[in-house]
Amino acid sequence: MKTLSRIVIVLLLGALILSACGAKAPANKLEAIKSAGKMVVGTSADYAPFEYKDEQDNFVGFDMDLIREIGKRMGVEVEIQDMAFDSLVAAVEQGKVDVVIASMTETEERLEKVDFSTAYHYQKSSFLAATGSAITLAVPEEAANYKIGVQTGTTLDEWVTENLVDAGKMPAENVLRYERADQSILDLQAGRIDLVLTDAGPAKEYQTNGQAMVVLTEKLFDTGEAIALTKGEADLKAELDKIIQTLVDEGFVDQLAQQYGLE
Amino acid sequence: MTETFTGLIPYILTGLQVTLEVTILALGIGFIIGLGLALVRVYGSKTPAQLIAVVSVIIRALPHILLLLLMYFAIAALVNLTPFWAGSLSLAIISSAYQSEILRGALLSVGSGQMMAARTLGMTRVQAIRHIILPQALRQAIPAWSNEAAIIVKDSSLVYVLGVPEILRKAQYYSARTYQPFTAFIAVAVVYFVLTFLTNRGLCALERKLKIPGQ
Repeated sequence: MKTLSRIVIVLLLGALILSACGAKAPANKLEAIKSAGKMVVGTSADYAPFEYKDEQDNFVGFDMDLIREIGKRMGVEVEIQDMAFDSLVAAVEQGKVDVVIASMTETEERLEKVDFSTAYHYQKSSFLAATGSAITLAVPEEAANYKIGVQTGTTLDEWVTENLVDAGKMPAENVLRYERADQSILDLQAGRIDLVLTDAGPAKEYQTNGQAMVVLTEKLFDTGEAIALTKGEADLKAELDKIIQTLVDEGFVDQLAQQYGLE
Repeated sequence: MTETFTGLIPYILTGLQVTLEVTILALGIGFIIGLGLALVRVYGSKTPAQLIAVVSVIIRALPHILLLLLMYFAIAALVNLTPFWAGSLSLAIISSAYQSEILRGALLSVGSGQMMAARTLGMTRVQAIRHIILPQALRQAIPAWSNEAAIIVKDSSLVYVLGVPEILRKAQYYSARTYQPFTAFIAVAVVYFVLTFLTNRGLCALERKLKIPGQ
């Protein structure tokens, strides 16, 4: 048994060393992208109308059109790589993808791992209830009286945790966390939760499709959606910021938002 | 509902090739590694056998999804594998641990007297394993192995977290586009059932075909 435990320790140490080596990054990402002529973009294509797939299996949506335009202005091709939302920050941190665009907003936790470009869009948040529900909310804080579903690891999850649970307004077990937004809608329809807190854009789509009903739409954050990139890549960040600013000034972003029915 | 299904099932089936590729790679590579590990554990010297036993215990103690993420983000950072290969190889390594246990049991089920008899007849150890032990052991392993095959068919869905577009991820795309998660998940459940059912049926037929007469 002594040999056994020694072997276990050696193996675990080996795994640790391997994982520590994994965190290296190339010297300058912008140069690397330009010389490759290709920018690898991570997203989670299960969040219409921001990023999803059409019937022909193309990546479409507000974020997808935006990043393709950004790629065009940088003079590089854009290769979209899809993965689960939870994996995205780790993927860009490890250099598996160059940048991430996934309706993602800047948070303190994410900033420890990755940098963010300037925000390209500011989005409101909506509370959804089951169609025909009698629930009304005057202010977002009233949601504390109900069971709320959120997508795990999102800023909305954080908002509920900080402003409602940690503030002592509601018990922690009344917040249910889902891997994806559509799962929370299923539970809303099943009556297991009373409200779903999600971004205003998708919420409107759910209402249009008769899957749920928007109860309240509010601006909960001052931070907007931004592109995540590997930490310390100042040149890449400057390039992205410059292009985003130009696209906002030209009205391209507003036009795109209208096209996808966003506010 | 039927209209939705006629469009939905073909769409999900566009991910079928990926599901099958991941499954076959994981099972095939897992079998080769697993057989090697089992042979070392049964016939090898003490230290390598112990080392393998420990690795096998660790792999089988951890959730598959956790190992998958570990391999993709920690270990695969050294060699930049695509999500498809990272997913398939991770599943192969996970499966090899389970398959080595199945095959070890099958090897041990062949009576030790047979090895002695083969050696008495002048066969080397390798010859005895190759011609006497393995043909019997592999037949013995089929029922337990078909269980593992069914598990890997279903576990191939785990690679979706790395963004490999297999059938479950396709169902999620459909769900995101149409806001109809329930329909999408029912359809993908049907596809998985058919896949697992056919796998088990195929292996049952193989088992009957390879049965040693009179045994």
